[in-house]
Amino acid sequence: MDHQSNLAGSDEARLDALFEAYRSACPDPEPGAEFMPQLWQKIEARQSVSAVFGRMARNLMTAALALSTLLGLAATISGSRVSPLPSENYVEVLAEDHDNQNLDFEPVRFAPAVEQP
Amino acid sequence: MLVDYELIRRAREGDGPAFNQLVAAYRKRILGTIARLIGRPEDVEDVGQEVFLRLYYSLDQLRSAEVFEPWLYRLTANAAYDYLRKRRRRMESRMADLSEQQVLLADAVASEKVDRDDGQKKRIREAVDALLEKVSEEDRVLLTLKEVEGLSLKELGEIYHVKENALKVRLFRARQRVLKAFTAARKQAPGVSSLR
Repeated sequence: MDHQSNLAGSDEARLDALFEAYRSACPDPEPGAEFMPQLWQKIEARQSVSAVFGRMARNLMTAALALSTLLGLAATISGSRVSPLPSENYVEVLAEDHDNQNLDFEPVRFAPAVEQP
Repeated sequence: MLVDYELIRRAREGDGPAFNQLVAAYRKRILGTIARLIGRPEDVEDVGQEVFLRLYYSLDQLRSAEVFEPWLYRLTANAAYDYLRKRRRRMESRMADLSEQQVLLADAVASEKVDRDDGQKKRIREAVDALLEKVSEEDRVLLTLKEVEGLSLKELGEIYHVKENALKVRLFRARQRVLKAFTAARKQAPGVSSLR
Protein backbone atom coordinates (compact mmCIF):
# COMPACT_ATOMS: atom_id res chain seq x y z
CA MET A 1 0.00 0.00 0.00
CA ASP A 2 2.78 2.39 1.03
CA HIS A 3 4.81 1.31 -1.97
CA GLN A 4 1.88 2.06 -4.30
CA SER A 5 1.24 5.50 -2.80
CA ASN A 6 4.97 6.23 -3.07
CA LEU A 7 4.86 5.31 -6.75
CA ALA A 8 1.81 7.50 -7.30
CA GLY A 9 3.52 10.31 -5.43
CA SER A 10 6.65 9.99 -7.55
CA ASP A 11 4.53 10.02 -10.72
CA GLU A 12 2.79 13.17 -9.47
CA ALA A 13 6.16 14.82 -8.99
CA ARG A 14 7.35 13.63 -12.41
CA LEU A 15 4.23 15.01 -14.04
CA ASP A 16 4.78 18.37 -12.33
CA ALA A 17 8.37 18.39 -13.57
CA LEU A 18 7.20 17.55 -17.08
CA PHE A 19 4.71 20.44 -17.06
CA GLU A 20 7.43 22.76 -15.82
CA ALA A 21 9.77 21.59 -18.60
CA TYR A 22 6.95 22.12 -21.07
CA ARG A 23 6.50 25.69 -19.82
CA SER A 24 10.14 26.51 -20.56
CA ALA A 25 10.10 24.55 -23.85
CA CYS A 26 7.29 26.84 -25.08
CA PRO A 27 8.41 30.44 -24.45
CA ASP A 28 6.23 33.37 -25.60
CA PRO A 29 6.94 33.60 -29.34
CA GLU A 30 7.71 36.92 -31.03
CA PRO A 31 4.87 37.80 -33.40
CA GLY A 32 5.88 37.92 -37.07
CA ALA A 33 5.98 41.18 -39.02
CA GLU A 34 2.89 40.10 -40.96
CA PHE A 35 0.79 39.50 -37.86
CA MET A 36 -1.06 42.84 -37.84
CA PRO A 37 -1.52 43.21 -41.64
CA GLN A 38 -2.90 39.67 -41.83
CA LEU A 39 -5.19 40.32 -38.87
CA TRP A 40 -6.64 43.42 -40.56
CA GLN A 41 -7.04 41.46 -43.82
CA LYS A 42 -9.09 38.89 -41.93
CA ILE A 43 -11.17 41.59 -40.23
CA GLU A 44 -11.88 43.27 -43.57
CA ALA A 45 -12.62 39.93 -45.28
CA ARG A 46 -15.21 39.14 -42.62
CA GLN A 47 -16.67 42.63 -42.90
CA SER A 48 -17.09 42.20 -46.68
CA VAL A 49 -18.67 38.76 -46.22
CA SER A 50 -21.08 40.30 -43.69
CA ALA A 51 -21.82 43.12 -46.11
CA VAL A 52 -22.57 40.67 -48.95
CA PHE A 53 -24.88 38.65 -46.71
CA GLY A 54 -26.54 41.84 -45.50
CA ARG A 55 -27.17 42.97 -49.07
CA MET A 56 -28.51 39.52 -49.99
CA ALA A 57 -30.82 39.53 -46.96
CA ARG A 58 -32.12 43.02 -47.84
CA ASN A 59 -32.72 41.99 -51.48
CA LEU A 60 -34.50 38.83 -50.40
CA MET A 61 -36.69 40.80 -48.02
CA THR A 62 -37.63 43.29 -50.74
CA ALA A 63 -38.44 40.45 -53.16
CA ALA A 64 -40.54 38.64 -50.53
CA LEU A 65 -42.46 41.85 -49.77
CA ALA A 66 -43.14 42.50 -53.46
CA LEU A 67 -44.24 38.90 -54.00
CA SER A 68 -46.63 38.94 -51.05
CA THR A 69 -48.14 42.25 -52.27
CA LEU A 70 -48.65 40.76 -55.74
CA LEU A 71 -50.19 37.60 -54.34
CA GLY A 72 -52.49 39.67 -52.14
CA LEU A 73 -53.64 41.73 -55.13
CA ALA A 74 -54.18 38.62 -57.24
CA ALA A 75 -56.24 37.02 -54.48
CA THR A 76 -58.40 40.17 -54.14
CA ILE A 77 -59.07 40.39 -57.89
CA SER A 78 -59.85 36.71 -58.41
CA GLY A 79 -61.86 36.60 -55.17
CA SER A 80 -64.39 39.11 -56.51
CA ARG A 81 -65.16 36.84 -59.51
CA VAL A 82 -65.75 33.69 -57.59
CA SER A 83 -69.30 33.01 -56.32
CA PRO A 84 -69.58 33.19 -52.59
CA LEU A 85 -69.39 30.04 -50.64
CA PRO A 86 -72.74 28.38 -49.79
CA SER A 87 -74.01 29.52 -46.46
CA GLU A 88 -75.94 26.34 -45.72
CA ASN A 89 -74.39 23.73 -43.63
CA TYR A 90 -73.75 20.22 -44.81
CA VAL A 91 -76.97 18.71 -43.53
CA GLU A 92 -79.10 21.39 -45.20
CA VAL A 93 -77.34 20.90 -48.53
CA LEU A 94 -77.82 17.16 -48.26
CA ALA A 95 -81.52 17.53 -47.45
CA GLU A 96 -82.07 19.87 -50.38
CA ASP A 97 -80.30 17.49 -52.67
CA HIS A 98 -82.46 14.63 -51.43
CA ASP A 99 -85.68 16.57 -52.23
CA ASN A 100 -84.51 17.19 -55.76
CA GLN A 101 -83.93 13.54 -56.50
CA ASN A 102 -86.24 12.09 -59.20
CA LEU A 103 -87.16 8.56 -58.47
CA ASP A 104 -88.08 6.73 -61.66
CA PHE A 105 -89.84 3.95 -59.88
CA GLU A 106 -93.51 3.19 -60.82
CA PRO A 107 -95.80 2.70 -57.87
CA VAL A 108 -96.57 -0.96 -57.35
CA ARG A 109 -100.14 -1.82 -58.32
CA PHE A 110 -102.00 -4.77 -57.11
CA ALA A 111 -104.82 -6.22 -59.32
CA PRO A 112 -107.99 -6.86 -57.34
CA ALA A 113 -108.55 -10.49 -56.72
CA VAL A 114 -111.24 -12.08 -58.98
CA GLU A 115 -113.88 -13.94 -57.12
CA GLN A 116 -114.46 -17.53 -58.23
CA PRO A 117 -118.03 -18.47 -58.93
CA MET B 1 -3.55 45.27 -16.83
CA LEU B 2 -1.18 46.04 -19.69
CA VAL B 3 -3.31 48.94 -20.97
CA ASP B 4 -5.52 51.60 -19.42
CA TYR B 5 -9.30 51.48 -19.46
CA GLU B 6 -9.53 54.50 -21.75
CA LEU B 7 -7.76 52.60 -24.55
CA ILE B 8 -10.20 49.68 -24.18
CA ARG B 9 -13.14 52.10 -24.23
CA ARG B 10 -11.84 53.73 -27.42
CA ALA B 11 -11.25 50.37 -29.10
CA ARG B 12 -14.77 49.34 -28.12
CA GLU B 13 -16.13 52.40 -29.90
CA GLY B 14 -14.45 51.30 -33.14
CA ASP B 15 -11.23 53.33 -32.95
CA GLY B 16 -8.80 51.38 -35.23
CA PRO B 17 -5.51 52.77 -33.85
CA ALA B 18 -6.71 52.05 -30.29
CA PHE B 19 -7.47 48.46 -31.31
CA ASN B 20 -3.97 48.19 -32.83
CA GLN B 21 -2.43 49.35 -29.56
CA LEU B 22 -4.53 46.87 -27.63
CA VAL B 23 -3.37 43.98 -29.86
CA ALA B 24 0.25 45.14 -29.70
CA ALA B 25 0.11 45.17 -25.89
CA TYR B 26 -1.34 41.68 -25.50
CA ARG B 27 -0.30 39.70 -28.57
CA LYS B 28 2.98 38.30 -27.21
CA ARG B 29 1.37 37.09 -24.01
CA ILE B 30 -1.61 35.63 -25.86
CA LEU B 31 0.59 33.92 -28.47
CA GLY B 32 2.62 32.35 -25.64
CA THR B 33 -0.51 31.03 -23.97
CA ILE B 34 -1.77 29.66 -27.29
CA ALA B 35 1.60 28.00 -27.96
CA ARG B 36 1.35 26.12 -24.68
CA LEU B 37 -2.34 25.33 -25.11
CA ILE B 38 -2.05 23.83 -28.59
CA GLY B 39 1.57 22.63 -28.63
CA ARG B 40 2.07 23.45 -32.33
CA PRO B 41 4.29 26.50 -32.97
CA GLU B 42 3.45 26.50 -36.68
CA ASP B 43 -0.25 27.21 -35.98
CA VAL B 44 0.15 29.72 -33.13
CA GLU B 45 -0.16 32.90 -35.23
CA ASP B 46 -3.28 31.65 -37.01
CA VAL B 47 -5.02 30.89 -33.73
CA GLY B 48 -3.76 34.20 -32.29
CA GLN B 49 -5.27 36.11 -35.19
CA GLU B 50 -8.53 34.25 -34.65
CA VAL B 51 -8.52 35.38 -31.01
CA PHE B 52 -8.04 39.05 -31.92
CA LEU B 53 -10.55 38.75 -34.76
CA ARG B 54 -13.13 37.49 -32.26
CA LEU B 55 -12.09 40.27 -29.90
CA TYR B 56 -12.69 42.88 -32.61
CA TYR B 57 -16.20 41.60 -33.29
CA SER B 58 -17.15 41.08 -29.66
CA LEU B 59 -15.69 44.17 -27.99
CA ASP B 60 -19.07 45.87 -28.03
CA GLN B 61 -20.42 43.06 -25.80
CA LEU B 62 -17.78 43.71 -23.12
CA ARG B 63 -19.62 44.85 -19.98
CA SER B 64 -16.79 46.97 -18.60
CA ALA B 65 -13.10 47.56 -19.19
CA GLU B 66 -12.27 45.99 -15.80
CA VAL B 67 -13.17 42.52 -17.05
CA PHE B 68 -11.15 42.86 -20.25
CA GLU B 69 -8.37 40.42 -19.35
CA PRO B 70 -10.58 37.48 -18.26
CA TRP B 71 -12.65 38.20 -21.40
CA LEU B 72 -9.53 37.99 -23.60
CA TYR B 73 -8.40 34.78 -21.87
CA ARG B 74 -11.84 33.33 -22.40
CA LEU B 75 -11.62 34.10 -26.12
CA THR B 76 -8.14 32.54 -26.16
CA ALA B 77 -9.31 29.39 -24.39
CA ASN B 78 -12.27 29.09 -26.78
CA ALA B 79 -10.14 29.56 -29.90
CA ALA B 80 -7.59 27.00 -28.66
CA TYR B 81 -10.42 24.61 -27.84
CA ASP B 82 -11.90 24.99 -31.35
CA TYR B 83 -8.47 24.43 -32.91
CA LEU B 84 -7.84 21.30 -30.81
CA ARG B 85 -11.24 19.87 -31.70
CA LYS B 86 -10.62 20.37 -35.42
CA ARG B 87 -7.17 18.86 -35.09
CA ARG B 88 -8.51 15.85 -33.20
CA ARG B 89 -10.98 15.20 -36.02
CA ARG B 90 -8.10 15.30 -38.50
CA MET B 91 -5.96 13.02 -36.37
CA GLU B 92 -8.57 10.45 -35.47
CA SER B 93 -7.07 7.86 -37.78
CA ARG B 94 -3.61 8.38 -36.35
CA MET B 95 -2.33 6.54 -33.33
CA ALA B 96 -2.60 8.79 -30.32
CA ASP B 97 -0.49 6.73 -27.95
CA LEU B 98 2.80 8.05 -26.72
CA SER B 99 5.68 6.52 -28.63
CA GLU B 100 8.33 4.74 -26.65
CA GLN B 101 10.75 7.54 -27.44
CA GLN B 102 8.33 10.12 -26.05
CA VAL B 103 7.89 8.11 -22.87
CA LEU B 104 11.64 7.79 -22.45
CA LEU B 105 12.05 11.50 -22.94
CA ALA B 106 9.23 12.40 -20.57
CA ASP B 107 10.80 10.18 -17.96
CA ALA B 108 14.26 11.61 -18.51
CA VAL B 109 12.92 15.17 -18.31
CA ALA B 110 11.25 14.34 -15.04
CA SER B 111 14.58 12.97 -13.79
CA GLU B 112 16.36 16.13 -15.03
CA LYS B 113 18.82 14.07 -17.06
CA VAL B 114 18.60 15.88 -20.36
CA ASP B 115 19.98 19.12 -21.66
CA ARG B 116 17.17 21.15 -23.10
CA ASP B 117 18.42 22.18 -26.49
CA ASP B 118 16.01 23.04 -29.31
CA GLY B 119 15.62 19.41 -30.39
CA GLN B 120 14.86 18.32 -26.85
CA LYS B 121 12.40 21.18 -26.39
CA LYS B 122 10.59 20.05 -29.51
CA ARG B 123 10.41 16.51 -28.21
CA ILE B 124 9.19 17.72 -24.81
CA ARG B 125 6.40 19.58 -26.60
CA GLU B 126 5.53 16.46 -28.57
CA ALA B 127 5.57 14.27 -25.46
CA VAL B 128 3.28 16.61 -23.49
CA ASP B 129 1.08 17.06 -26.55
CA ALA B 130 0.68 13.28 -26.88
CA LEU B 131 0.00 12.99 -23.15
CA LEU B 132 -2.67 15.69 -23.23
CA GLU B 133 -4.33 13.95 -26.18
CA LYS B 134 -5.52 11.47 -23.57
CA VAL B 135 -8.02 13.91 -22.10
CA SER B 136 -10.84 15.92 -23.64
CA GLU B 137 -10.12 19.30 -25.21
CA GLU B 138 -11.98 21.02 -22.34
CA ASP B 139 -9.83 19.28 -19.74
CA ARG B 140 -6.68 19.90 -21.73
CA VAL B 141 -7.29 23.65 -21.94
CA LEU B 142 -8.27 23.90 -18.28
CA LEU B 143 -5.33 21.79 -17.10
CA THR B 144 -2.83 23.74 -19.20
CA LEU B 145 -4.14 27.08 -17.95
CA LYS B 146 -3.73 25.87 -14.37
CA GLU B 147 -0.62 23.68 -14.44
CA VAL B 148 1.44 25.32 -17.17
CA GLU B 149 0.20 28.93 -17.30
CA GLY B 150 -0.06 29.02 -13.52
CA LEU B 151 -3.43 30.77 -13.36
CA SER B 152 -5.08 30.76 -9.96
CA LEU B 153 -8.47 29.21 -9.25
CA LYS B 154 -9.87 32.73 -8.83
CA GLU B 155 -8.60 33.76 -12.28
CA LEU B 156 -9.92 30.55 -13.81
CA GLY B 157 -13.27 31.16 -12.14
CA GLU B 158 -13.45 34.61 -13.77
CA ILE B 159 -12.59 33.15 -17.18
CA TYR B 160 -14.98 30.23 -17.03
CA HIS B 161 -17.72 31.84 -14.91
CA VAL B 162 -17.65 28.73 -12.73
CA LYS B 163 -17.38 28.43 -8.94
CA GLU B 164 -14.02 27.47 -7.51
CA ASN B 165 -15.25 24.21 -6.00
CA ALA B 166 -16.56 22.99 -9.35
CA LEU B 167 -13.25 23.93 -10.95
CA LYS B 168 -11.31 22.06 -8.28
CA VAL B 169 -13.28 18.89 -9.00
CA ARG B 170 -12.79 19.19 -12.76
CA LEU B 171 -9.10 19.92 -12.41
CA PHE B 172 -8.58 16.99 -10.05
CA ARG B 173 -10.31 14.59 -12.43
CA ALA B 174 -8.44 15.87 -15.48
CA ARG B 175 -5.13 15.59 -13.66
CA GLN B 176 -5.94 12.06 -12.54
CA ARG B 177 -6.66 11.04 -16.12
CA VAL B 178 -3.38 12.52 -17.35
CA LEU B 179 -1.51 10.94 -14.48
CA LYS B 180 -3.05 7.57 -15.26
CA ALA B 181 -2.01 7.85 -18.91
CA PHE B 182 1.49 8.93 -17.84
CA THR B 183 1.89 6.02 -15.42
CA ALA B 184 0.49 3.51 -17.93
CA ALA B 185 2.79 4.75 -20.71
CA ARG B 186 5.83 4.51 -18.44
CA LYS B 187 4.93 0.96 -17.42
CA GLN B 188 4.38 -0.17 -20.99
CA ALA B 189 7.59 1.26 -22.42
CA PRO B 190 10.45 -1.17 -21.86
CA GLY B 191 13.80 0.37 -21.06
CA VAL B 192 12.44 3.34 -19.13
CA SER B 193 14.05 2.08 -15.95
CA SER B 194 17.45 2.08 -17.63
CA LEU B 195 17.34 5.86 -17.75
CA ARG B 196 16.96 6.25 -14.04
